[in-house]
Amino acid sequence: MLSRVAAALYWMGRYLERAENVTRLLLVTEDFSSETQGLAEQLAQAAWKDLLAILPSAQLAPPVSAFASMSQTYLAGFFLDLGNHQSVIYALRRARENARSVREALTVEVFLALNETFRTLEAHSRRGLSDPPSLRDALVSTHKGLFTIGGAIEQTFPRDEGWFFLKLGEALERVYRTALVLRAKLPGLAAAEPRGDVALYYTQWRTLLRALGSLENYRRSYGARLEPELVVPFLMLDPHTSHSLRYGLEAVRDCLGRIGGAGDTTTTGRLIGRLHADLCYRDEPSQAGIGDPVFLDRVVDTMAQVHDALDAQYFAT
Amino acid sequence: MAARRLRGPVISWGAVKWVPETRAYDEAFDRTAAPRPHYRALVGALESFTLSEIDRRERLQKISLVDQGITFTVYGEKEGIERIFPFDFVPRIITAREWERIEAGLIQRVTALNLFIADIYQDQKCLKDRVIPAELILSRKEYKRELLRVVPPRQIYTHVVGTDLIRNDAGEFLILEDNCRCPSGVSYVLENRNLLTRVFPELFTRYPVRPIRDYPRLLLDTLLWSSRASENPVAVVLTPGIHNSAYFEHSFLAREMGVFLVEGHDLIVEDSHVYMRTTHGRQRVDVIYRRVDEDFLDPLTFRRDSMLGVPGLVNVYREGNVAIANAPGAGVADDKAVYAYMPAIIKYYLDQEPLLGQVPTYVGLRGGDFAYMREHLTELVVKTTGDSGGYNMLMGPFASRKEIDAYAAQMKKAPGNFIAQPLIELSAHPTWIDGTFEPRRIDLRPFILYGETVRVLPGGLTRVALRAGSYVVNSSQGGGSKDTWVLADRGA
Repeated sequence: MLSRVAAALYWMGRYLERAENVTRLLLVTEDFSSETQGLAEQLAQAAWKDLLAILPSAQLAPPVSAFASMSQTYLAGFFLDLGNHQSVIYALRRARENARSVREALTVEVFLALNETFRTLEAHSRRGLSDPPSLRDALVSTHKGLFTIGGAIEQTFPRDEGWFFLKLGEALERVYRTALVLRAKLPGLAAAEPRGDVALYYTQWRTLLRALGSLENYRRSYGARLEPELVVPFLMLDPHTSHSLRYGLEAVRDCLGRIGGAGDTTTTGRLIGRLHADLCYRDEPSQAGIGDPVFLDRVVDTMAQVHDALDAQYFAT
Repeated sequence: MAARRLRGPVISWGAVKWVPETRAYDEAFDRTAAPRPHYRALVGALESFTLSEIDRRERLQKISLVDQGITFTVYGEKEGIERIFPFDFVPRIITAREWERIEAGLIQRVTALNLFIADIYQDQKCLKDRVIPAELILSRKEYKRELLRVVPPRQIYTHVVGTDLIRNDAGEFLILEDNCRCPSGVSYVLENRNLLTRVFPELFTRYPVRPIRDYPRLLLDTLLWSSRASENPVAVVLTPGIHNSAYFEHSFLAREMGVFLVEGHDLIVEDSHVYMRTTHGRQRVDVIYRRVDEDFLDPLTFRRDSMLGVPGLVNVYREGNVAIANAPGAGVADDKAVYAYMPAIIKYYLDQEPLLGQVPTYVGLRGGDFAYMREHLTELVVKTTGDSGGYNMLMGPFASRKEIDAYAAQMKKAPGNFIAQPLIELSAHPTWIDGTFEPRRIDLRPFILYGETVRVLPGGLTRVALRAGSYVVNSSQGGGSKDTWVLADRGA
């Protein structure tokens, strides 16, 4: 396929995934913050500030009014601010631009779903939503729209090379974001002790699972018991939950294999193969040390390297 | 613009009102305000709806256009303005007999146009025989001297032509202009049909409407026919990109034909062949359906500042290793001044009288004509020979003194760049405007394909001037479009 089209599909996959990730993070953080701000305001504030680490290079406009709630600044800034390159509306706009530029490579259903979701988002933006409840409603409807797009892709897209570039972008973005979420949240969580408020402590772990779309999957494996020594390996290594690092890396590896052909030994294949092996076939049989920040930083770096190698190998031919 | 529209009688048989046209030919009603025979069933069908039902369906249709992103970009406004091309659901109906005449006339015209272009780039016999003044051709920027004696595969220059027709107040179809470079609008023809069958399926039950969905296949056939490649030639659509006003159509046609949609930088020239950059290396391209203006095709041959083109493309074309549709240089034939000579051109190459008439045209290059133009500016429609899309024209009868003076000053600087025509009362067609069927001016752009044979898509794009009293149907100037029905001959 045309390199330009492959690149546009890859970016469309990345931006759609990013839009979904940010939407989910905002909804989850908003829940956590409304639940805890009366109880432990600092925790609520920290949860919002973590977003700045999870979505690097985000630029938030200062609050419009001194009386604006903390969540309002973050919600508005990461949802409907086109000036913030990590916002949902920005990601969706870029996804749509990529889709428009390769419309002939998409199915009508995919374009329709994407276009409709974006237009609804634009309408929200024009209405100038500012209070958290209506922002929340709009986020929920956007989330549904994003799932509709995903459904249209799943149902109508041909499973050809274009599909694998789209899915590659999606998987790569997901691994990258999961690593950043874990990197931002784990040190704080590890330092906290279930001393004073046990309920609050578990709320934080539950929020982490929800932030990575994995709470229900976790419960299916371990029941309602939230043990840190189970949660971290689950998010890193579970082979079945689609937001675990392992699942994501395998998705990236599989897409690369389908694009490059069997026995692909190019840079991208080697980078992913090594990272996957180091994650899944660790020297220590116990789970001690899993979730180590140094390893998570390496995941983030490797994703950047894979992206550059892809660009050189397939997009800039 | 002064309100010159005379409001005629309002007629109504039921819930809805119809206003027949009083100045010009009304496509649907005769002079007595009775529906013409081929419109009776349509009027009856529309009468059977309630007002609110028609409104509901019109809303459905608008939503459908926006949701599908069937849009075009308006130049001169802020960047990024995507507009829908408004669609009016009242179909325009052409009888089998009328169409037979139009079709024959168009085939004749396109055949002559192609012979004319071939002659201009080969022997220039028509210039030697003074059928058309040499300076008119040789001084035009559309004349590409770089391509002299370059013979395209199968000698076809005009693979796709869009010829604009209008109907005058005597009910006679006239040719208004030819578009030999990259005529656009065919995607709307196909989408309009889709839309109407979904929103008003009932209308189709009473008419034998000739199908048009086959166009992409015919276009692909036409393109592949023009290739010299012996087996499995590869065709692509070349677009300037997403910001072009007709991008929707480029992508639509590529998708419908199942070929790649490429931009200039997707293509590369190597060893006298054109290749596209793919994820598996380079793949050869044999036919380019270019929707890029020829001046931007190749920065090495034409405009050096072009970012849209492919360096070296024209050399590959010269060697016959790639076919380009339409052929670069074909624009020399759709010049508005050349138009004035078309009857003579048809006679010269085919030894036939033109089957379709055209609008009398004054050519600025001819001194006598220019003097006449200057004296009669208030009666004439003046156009520049280079522009299209309804940009930079003077509608004399509607212009203010100031506008006319300013335009006259422009004309004086370069008389050869202007032509003028009397104002033709374009025919009008019932159009749904705020709850009433009102007359609005229309034209017709049929699409003609030149491949193994010359074929005309039955129907074409009917454009409608949605503003009351307006004669300008261009999408960039407040125009909309209609579905166009050519009826099959049922032997009746």
